[in-house]
Amino acid sequence: MSEQESPKRPPGVCIPWEDKLQKLPEISGDKDLVKRVWEETDALAYLYIWHCLLAF
Amino acid sequence: MSTDMEQRYQERLTRYTTAMRNEKPDRIPIRPFVAEFTAKYAGYTCQEVAHDYEKAFAAARKCAADFDWDAVVSNMVFVWTGLTEAISLNYYAIPGIQIPADVGFQYIEPPEGEAFMRADEYDLLVKDPVEYLFNVWLPRVADDVSPMGQPTSLRNNLSFVKGGMAMMQYFAGFGTQNARLRSESGTVSAIAGILKAPFDIIADKLRGYKGLCMDMYRQPEKVVAACEAMAPHLLHVAHITADPGKKVPIGLWMHRGCVPFISPPQFEKFYWPTLKWIIEELARMGHQVLFYAEGEWNPNLKYIAELPDLSIIYHVDRGDIFEVHKAVGHKFCLSGGIPNDLLAFGTTDDVRACCKNVIDGVAGDGGYIMDASAIMQDDTKVENLQAMTEFTREYGVY
Repeated sequence: MSEQESPKRPPGVCIPWEDKLQKLPEISGDKDLVKRVWEETDALAYLYIWHCLLAF
Repeated sequence: MSTDMEQRYQERLTRYTTAMRNEKPDRIPIRPFVAEFTAKYAGYTCQEVAHDYEKAFAAARKCAADFDWDAVVSNMVFVWTGLTEAISLNYYAIPGIQIPADVGFQYIEPPEGEAFMRADEYDLLVKDPVEYLFNVWLPRVADDVSPMGQPTSLRNNLSFVKGGMAMMQYFAGFGTQNARLRSESGTVSAIAGILKAPFDIIADKLRGYKGLCMDMYRQPEKVVAACEAMAPHLLHVAHITADPGKKVPIGLWMHRGCVPFISPPQFEKFYWPTLKWIIEELARMGHQVLFYAEGEWNPNLKYIAELPDLSIIYHVDRGDIFEVHKAVGHKFCLSGGIPNDLLAFGTTDDVRACCKNVIDGVAGDGGYIMDASAIMQDDTKVENLQAMTEFTREYGVY
């Protein structure tokens, strides 16, 4: 496969954590916890669209 | 789960995985890919198994138990039409709705000129496949989804909730199904995970076959770029949906890469590079791929032979399985090679003779799994599948 630019939206991601973070107030608690849960639920949407395309 | 049944399961899993490592198990594994056949056998209509996945699951379990197979797909009538109707997907003819209840669901390519992806949208897809799929493709294929910039609606808002929750409910059902196959009949769930070639995604769901044929001549660099843009995503989905234990392979469903749909030079330029990369990456991660090569793929064998040893289980449909064995049998386990029309229209003697011929020709050193050439729908005769099963169980002992 030829050289290509890094995808703007990498595999597994719909709305990157960095975008979500911009819309949040200052996280006073565990930032990693918020990030992990955001990415896990975001990945569900990613799976949804790719399964619509692949499997349905 | 009884100890005996668990022992049977482990024996079958060992048999299946040994063959997939291209080694010699105790006997040839029997792994029929049965779709609407299960409905006929269990006494359901095509509509029932397409629209009620619990009936589809029950039909698969009944077949697994009665035929005593080593492995089956948990539900080969995979498209749950309950989900497609939940979001009003417009590219299926549903049994009992658009087509008779006793006919399997049909995928309908859009008319030429109305492809779900327009000819001038390659750059959009390449720039951001996820954004394109959600914002452009989904509204075109799902009537309830409002296009970007158009007024939203209750149906639009509901479609995402219903579609997402329906999908989660359905996929959760597979976990229970696999556990029941194991506990009730000691049957292995044959595959885990899903993969398609980037080229097939474009052909099947985006540009349509005709549109893509024109694109290969009019804008070939765009077709290549689109395949390359989607490949990392398809790799990712295949990986995260794969068997975490790396025992059973990822299902790769191959459609338009064979003759006569595209020529070998077109295969080499458009179809192969990204698919090869994906398979190599999955192999590097320890996953095998079931290379379900529907149609005639033998003209492309020299490319397929480039894949790492044991990276695929090569399923043979229309190709001469003996030629396949000669070319790549030393590298990959093979499956299939029993023609579907024989199973539908032949005699049990014919079926047994064919099975013997294939076993004698390609299974001597192991590395062969008994199955029909293609997914069995409701035209397969029960007695012929029984003959294939029983003959293999007796004759396929090492």
